[in-house]
Amino acid sequence: MSEPETANEVLTFLVKQIVDQPDAVEVDIESAEERSVLEVRVAPGDMGRVIGKRGRVANAIRTVVRAAAVRDGVEVDVEFLD
Amino acid sequence: MEWVEATGRSVTEAKNAALDLLGVAGDEADFEVLAEEEKGLFGRVKQEARVRARVRPAQPRPKAEGGGRRNDRKRNRNRGGGGGDRSKARSGGGDRERSKGRDSGEREQRRQQQREQRREQREQDREQPKRERQAARAGREESAEDSAPVAASVGAAAAPTPRSAPAEGDVVSLDAQAEIVSEFMSGLSDAFGLAGEVTTITVDEETREIQLNGDDLGLLIGPRGHTLRCVQDLARTVVQRQGDREPGRVRIDVAMYYAERRASLERFTRELAQKVIDSGEELALEPMRAADRKIVHDTVGEIDGVDTISEGSDPDRRVVLIPVD
Repeated sequence: MSEPETANEVLTFLVKQIVDQPDAVEVDIESAEERSVLEVRVAPGDMGRVIGKRGRVANAIRTVVRAAAVRDGVEVDVEFLD
Repeated sequence: MEWVEATGRSVTEAKNAALDLLGVAGDEADFEVLAEEEKGLFGRVKQEARVRARVRPAQPRPKAEGGGRRNDRKRNRNRGGGGGDRSKARSGGGDRERSKGRDSGEREQRRQQQREQRREQREQDREQPKRERQAARAGREESAEDSAPVAASVGAAAAPTPRSAPAEGDVVSLDAQAEIVSEFMSGLSDAFGLAGEVTTITVDEETREIQLNGDDLGLLIGPRGHTLRCVQDLARTVVQRQGDREPGRVRIDVAMYYAERRASLERFTRELAQKVIDSGEELALEPMRAADRKIVHDTVGEIDGVDTISEGSDPDRRVVLIPVD
């Protein structure tokens, strides 16, 4: 099974673009069969930005990251953790 | 941005009609109700409701900029008031900002730091955008269109700018916004491992288009353009992190998706318009997004013998072509 490298790259890029503290952005990959979970952690004050009104930003990030994961041949979920 | 006027059997209908004209969603427009509808006997409409609307500017415009230009264009009513008016609008914006975050002072400070960082990074990067953005940051006296950076404003910007309210006068020009989106798109294309080429096009005074072209970009467009719309949303989020911005739009197109779509929707609309003219019967289109409805309205607007109205409410709002004599 391949690692979701492209998805990781894209996710990290997008989140860093949006937050105030890009250095505090961390992405952990929990790999599983056919489906990986990308866990994002950001600085406490940045969570609101990354999620956006009614989760709009978070959902847009998910959509784009899932598209990226197609290149990796895996399905991914993105979770934003406090 | 220009105001448009629209009428309808109710204020809501008039507003919807105005949104179609603007081609934006309801939360992106400012409205002014010019006249409420009046119902006559048996619910017949005695007087239609009239509203005026415009695309909501990104932020209230600071006083320093655009004072003359816009007022000249504005026709009447409570808009012509000049400075007093405008500063009220601005402090209103400030209030909103304040109530948004519990610790907005702190956040503002962080944002300021972030801006500094970005500027430093940019200084290493490139000469031209840096000057432009500094000019934008300096709270220029010139109108927004004069985006060419001048030596004086660069000098002014180089000085540290401690302000009580840092957002004020910190207007990011449309070209600087386009530059941010352009960098965003090349970064995204790199992260995808795609070799896309990014071009910036000036569509008109208040519109820039960032095009990403290359091979294998389908992933960035997604089913019916869904991924592309998300990319557009994210780019907008990134741009909105800047403080005050010159009003206008930076749109994105990938592999000419929108361009081709627009062309085929125009072609389709012309065919339908001809059908309506030939048959003399109304024809309702499928529900569409505001941006698409605008394309239909605009296309039909150039054809004699047929007119458009919109009915229903989003997301089921649709355009109806009606024959006229």
